[in-house]
Amino acid sequence: MSEHSFDSAVEDVPNSMHPGASAEPNRSRWKRAGTVALGGALVVFGLRRRSLGGTVLALVGGALSYRTLSDYLTDAGEMEPVERSITIDKPADELSDLARDPESLARIVGHFADVSAVGDDRYRWSAGGPLARELSWEMEIAADESGERLRWETVDDESIGALFDSWSLSFDPAPGDRGTTVTLEVRFDPPGGTAGSAAAERLDVVPESLVGTALDRFKSLAETGTVPTTEHRPSARGRGDLL
Amino acid sequence: MTDETMRALTWHGEKDVRVSEVPRPEIVEPTDAIVEITATAICGSDLHLYNDRMPGMREGDVLGHEPMGEVVETGDQVENLEVGDRVVVPFTISCGSCWFCEEELYSLCDNSNPNAEMARKMMGQSPAGLFGYSHLLGGYAGGQAEFLRVPYADVGPIKIESDIPDEQVLFLSDVFPTGYMAAENADIEPEDTVAVWGCGPVGQFAVQSAQMMGANQVIAIDRVPERLEMAGEHGDAETINYEHADVYDQLMSMTGGRGPDRCIDAVGTEAHGTGLDGVSDRVKEGAKLQDDRPYVLREAIKCCRKGGTLSVPGVYLGRANVPFGPLMNKALTVKTGQTHMQRYLDPLLGKIEEGEIDPSFIISHQVGLEDGPEMYQTFNDKEDDCIKVVMTP
Repeated sequence: MSEHSFDSAVEDVPNSMHPGASAEPNRSRWKRAGTVALGGALVVFGLRRRSLGGTVLALVGGALSYRTLSDYLTDAGEMEPVERSITIDKPADELSDLARDPESLARIVGHFADVSAVGDDRYRWSAGGPLARELSWEMEIAADESGERLRWETVDDESIGALFDSWSLSFDPAPGDRGTTVTLEVRFDPPGGTAGSAAAERLDVVPESLVGTALDRFKSLAETGTVPTTEHRPSARGRGDLL
Repeated sequence: MTDETMRALTWHGEKDVRVSEVPRPEIVEPTDAIVEITATAICGSDLHLYNDRMPGMREGDVLGHEPMGEVVETGDQVENLEVGDRVVVPFTISCGSCWFCEEELYSLCDNSNPNAEMARKMMGQSPAGLFGYSHLLGGYAGGQAEFLRVPYADVGPIKIESDIPDEQVLFLSDVFPTGYMAAENADIEPEDTVAVWGCGPVGQFAVQSAQMMGANQVIAIDRVPERLEMAGEHGDAETINYEHADVYDQLMSMTGGRGPDRCIDAVGTEAHGTGLDGVSDRVKEGAKLQDDRPYVLREAIKCCRKGGTLSVPGVYLGRANVPFGPLMNKALTVKTGQTHMQRYLDPLLGKIEEGEIDPSFIISHQVGLEDGPEMYQTFNDKEDDCIKVVMTP
C-alpha cells in the first residue's frame, strides 16, 4: 500500500475508450474512481510523499510546500489541532443543519472519507481508498449549540483506527452581508500517532489540505447545491482520473 | 471513433499539441449542460500553455477556452437553456451564487475551482476555474474539442437567438470582452491619449473599445507590421513599431512629453524584450525561477502620465520584477484581473447585433480541428500573418 502510486491509482479507473471495460453503471464507476484516486489532488492518503512529489507538486513547479501530519506533533508528543476558516454566504442555522445532515456531510468530506449515519447523532467515518479497512471509526455529536457550534468526538470503542479525535465547527456572523464565518478545527489522532511513528508517516495525510478542501466543499454545497467537480472529465489519459 | 468518443486537441508538454480521440463528456451535476462545439478559437493565452509556462498542466489535458456551439444535453436543474440552443461559452466558470458573482466579479468566483486549495497555496486565494487552463485553475477539460461539459450552465453561456454567423459572435467567449474590460479599467476620459501594448486580438479589441469610450487619441504598439496595420485600419490608431523606434521617445513626442494618460498591457508574461532587460530575464528563467517577463509593464510604468492608469488584461503567471518605485512616486492606478465575462456578454452582443462592431475582422485562419497542432505552431511563431485561428470541429 505504501507503494501505491498515483499512476497506479489512475490505471485502476475503467477506461471507457475500451467500451468492454465499462460494464459498471456510471455512478459506481465514479465512486470507485473517487475512492481509489481519493477525489482530490491534494489530499493524499496512503500515497507516499514521493508520489505526491511526482504528480501534484511537479505540476506546480515545486512551489507548494505543505506540513505533513507528523509536522503537527508537538515536542510533548501531542497533536496540534488544524484550524481553518471560510466565509459562507448563508445564515448560521442553515449551515449548522447542513453540517450535521449525513448526506451533506458525506459530500463535504467526500474527498477523503465515506460517512454514514449509524444512529442518532452517531456517524461512521471510513477513509476512502485502500486504507478503508484500517481507518474506520465512529463519531458522535458531543456539543450542538445550533447555529453556533457543532462538535463531533470519536467514540473509542467503535473504532478500528480513527484518523481524528474531534471535528468541530463554529459559526460566527461575517461582516455586512457576507454571511457566516465557519471555522473547522480538526484534532488528528492517527493510529500510533506519536512523534515519528511509522503509521503517521505512512498515512502521509496533508492536514491543512484535508481541512481546507472540506471547507471549500461545504461552502460550495451551501451556496450552489453542488460541489464543483471534474469527475468523468475527458482527456487523452482516458476518462475519470481525478487529479 | 465511436459514439462514446470525440476528437480533441490535447496538451502533451512544451510545443506538443495533438489531435486525440478522447471520451465524450457527460452530465455530471444537474446544473451541467453539454455543448456540441461548432467553432472554437486558439487564444494568445493558450500559447503560455504551449510554451509550458503555466504550472499545473498534465499530459493529456484537453485545451481551449473560446468555444461556441449547440446545446445537446442539459442537467435536470438547468432552466435557462434547452437542447438546440445556440450558445457562446465564456472562458471563466462562475457559480452565480457566491458573494463575488453577486458583486459581478465573476472571474473571482469562490466555488468553481475544485482545486482551490492548490491555487490558494500559490496565490493566497483562488480565482474562478477556467476551461482548459491547468489543474491550478480547475482542471476542467477545454473547448478545442467536439463536445464540452459546461458546469453552472444557467450562469455562463449566452444564447444567440439571431442567425448572425458564428464568426461574428465567437469572440464573446473571451477576447472581445477582455479587450473591452481592459479599456473600461483604464477609466478613459474624452481628452485622453490611450496607449495599447500588444496588437493581438485583445489589443485590437482594446483599441476599438477605447475609441468607443471616446478616447481622443489611441496609440498601438507592436512589432508585427500586419497587426499594426490592422489597429490602424480597424481601430483608427496611430502606431509604433518597437523594433524600429524607442517607445518612450515616440510616446513622449506624440503626447507633448506628458505621456499617455491610460496605458494598457495586452501582452502579459511572454513579452519579447529587447536589450539587456531581456537577457537578464531569460537567464533567470533558465534557472527555473519561473518569473514572468514584464517588459511591457516596465515600459508602461515608465511612459504613463503621472497620476494615470495602467490596465493589465495581459496574463501573468508568477512573479514579475517591476519598478514599484516609479509606480508609487508617479501615483499610478493599476487595474487588472481575468475578465468578469457575464458582465459584458449581453451589452457586447448588442453592439455586434447593432453593427457597431464586427469582431470577425481579427480572423486570419479558419481550419478544421485536425489542423490545430500546426496552427498552434504557426500562431506561436507569428508566421503567415497569423492573428486569430478559428477551428471548426
